[in-house]
Amino acid sequence: MNSLKLAGIAVRNLLRNSRRTLITVLVSSAGFAALAIVAGYMDFTFFGLQEMTICRGFTSSGGTGHIQIFRKEALQKEEHYPLEYGIADSEKLQQAVKLNKSVIATMPRIEFNGLISNGEKSISFLGTGVDPKKETELIHYWNALEKLSSRKLMDDSVYKKLETTSSNGVLLGEGMAKAMNAHVGSSLMLMGTTVDGAVNAVDVTVAGVVRSSMKSIDRYYLVTSLETAQSLMQTGKVSKIVVVLDKTSNTDIVRPLVFAKINASGNNPEFSVIAWDQLAEYYHSIRDAYRIIFSFIGIIVVVIVFLSTTNTMLMATMERVREIGTMKAIGISNLWISFLFLYEGFFIGLMSICGGMALKIIFSSIINNSGFKMPPPPGMSSSYLLKIFFAADFLPWISLLILFSTTCSGLLTLFKIRKLSIVNSLTHV
Amino acid sequence: MNDRVIAKLVDVSKYYGSGEGRVTALSSINLTLLRGDCVVLVGLSGSGKSTLLHLLGCIDKQDEGQIIIDGIDTSLKSLEQLAFLRLEKIGFVFQSFNLIPVLTAYENIELPLLFKGYKKNSIKERVDDVLEEFGLHERKHHYPRQMSGGQQQRVAIARALVTQPSLILADEPTANLDSQTGAGILDLLIDLNMKKNITIVLSSHDSVVLDKIKTVVHIRDGRIVHTNISTC
Ligand SMILES: Nc1ncnc2c1ncn2[C@@H]1O[C@H](COP(=O)(O)OP(=O)(O)OP(=O)(O)O)[C@@H](O)[C@H]1O
Ligand SMILES: [Mg+2]
Repeated sequence: MNSLKLAGIAVRNLLRNSRRTLITVLVSSAGFAALAIVAGYMDFTFFGLQEMTICRGFTSSGGTGHIQIFRKEALQKEEHYPLEYGIADSEKLQQAVKLNKSVIATMPRIEFNGLISNGEKSISFLGTGVDPKKETELIHYWNALEKLSSRKLMDDSVYKKLETTSSNGVLLGEGMAKAMNAHVGSSLMLMGTTVDGAVNAVDVTVAGVVRSSMKSIDRYYLVTSLETAQSLMQTGKVSKIVVVLDKTSNTDIVRPLVFAKINASGNNPEFSVIAWDQLAEYYHSIRDAYRIIFSFIGIIVVVIVFLSTTNTMLMATMERVREIGTMKAIGISNLWISFLFLYEGFFIGLMSICGGMALKIIFSSIINNSGFKMPPPPGMSSSYLLKIFFAADFLPWISLLILFSTTCSGLLTLFKIRKLSIVNSLTHV
Repeated sequence: MNDRVIAKLVDVSKYYGSGEGRVTALSSINLTLLRGDCVVLVGLSGSGKSTLLHLLGCIDKQDEGQIIIDGIDTSLKSLEQLAFLRLEKIGFVFQSFNLIPVLTAYENIELPLLFKGYKKNSIKERVDDVLEEFGLHERKHHYPRQMSGGQQQRVAIARALVTQPSLILADEPTANLDSQTGAGILDLLIDLNMKKNITIVLSSHDSVVLDKIKTVVHIRDGRIVHTNISTC
């Protein structure tokens, strides 16, 4: 009741000096919009980075998919020989996993390494053996992502070439192709260790030259078919099975279901089921860096909003010295009087949130429609279209932050009001 | 203590400034005001009338001496601690009205009641009563800037009265008004004193006041030089 009245008085006081109120609200709105736009950009970046991690990956072993299945020991122990803890019967496992409706593809992969030679020169490679047909599912998944309308569509033709290249096709990273002086059709030789520890070699043909997502791995990047890798290593095993889901947000729901499905109940599960984000070091390091930057911007904006509102509040107290003195003389406590200003701060905050939202929407639609290109993020090899997401998760927090700082500066007037001498303020003109 | 006494000042002194430039605004004032008194403070400009009213109203602190208002010794309390006393027992009327500009006549009068924790209905009743009594009903929803000086001062007196204080203090309430309006305001205050037995202390330069109010405290250079009420 009482506070409702105070709120009403606060609104009238705000209207009394409407120009100053407007300026203060504009400053705080700009602060809100700045934070909201940065948050929208972060949201976009995190989402893009997440889907990039899943579809292309930032390591030599390619996109992580949403879930990966390993033999449990593979993650716990060092192998004595290649694929000691590989998955032997991957077909059966894939059939089981596919029963889940959210699973759109399962892809066996082998990770292996060795030397690649053109007869004159040998360099080391980090290779992945894949099922080219299945890998294209990941590309289709990427190409179907609606939220990332600005992404570059990926081309599945290289996997097709891998299939059609009759004998042992390989895809090389640009760096490696250059180092090997190889182009499509060149014959090379892969050398590696078999599961028995013997050295083995297979002849391969370059089916394509690709640019991997990270510059630093381009020189070691090699993809070949599962069969080629298995014949080099003389095994039928695979390192892991990568699972692709219909959407990333289902990962946490599906992961335990898959785990339960492929492991017999008991306290010694045979397989580990790992979600993509536990395999995404690069994603996490970028995310942490962005968060720190965001926090700094947040602090700066809050300080600016706070100072600007505090300045307005102090000017208002100076203007209303006589009124404040009168209220004090009547016997209204300092705290109640400062509540008047607190409400003013609160309303400035509310108006700033509305104004800031409007600014944010206007500016992000301008940015989203301008086709503005961002330079490649650290370590990555391609630039991308800038988009600002809505950032629904961040907005409540940003609103609270702005509201808190404007309201606080209202409360700050308490110190001023307390110090004001009644007698002096009554004679104040 | 005699409960007919509303205010008692014992050896009260007030100084402004310090060192060489120290000004003695009041020196060793002894004064006893009884319930129902209507007292006018007279004296030349700078004699200390306002200062005395400020001390009586607990909006300033004396440097020496003791002030007891309605049985409460104010000497040991801070001005902020005395806020409740002002709200409960004292009403102020100022020379320049001092209404809150963003509030209507009604809201200005209502203001002290809101902080006394009255119920909504009883607030409305009381405010409407004083508005009626002071002939301000038509002005109820007018802002101070829409009213004449006399009307503003009447709203100010209504604001002082609405809490039913035991003491109303008015520092030159007629000084900003023409003589006719001033006389009206004066009559209003005297009327309140007569009908409601509220103690009223006002200060004035105006000799007309002396014709109407017979209880006088004459101050010169911070000392009471003549009075017809008790000084002990
Ligand atoms: N804030 C102040 N700082 C310094 N001296 C002051 C202050 N207020 C009042 N005084 C001094 O105290 C003395 C009494 O002042 P006071 O205002 O009480 O006089 P007054 O009788 O009300 O005068 P007036 O009729 O002009 O209103 C004066 O000498 C005045 O100069
Ligand atoms: Mg004076």
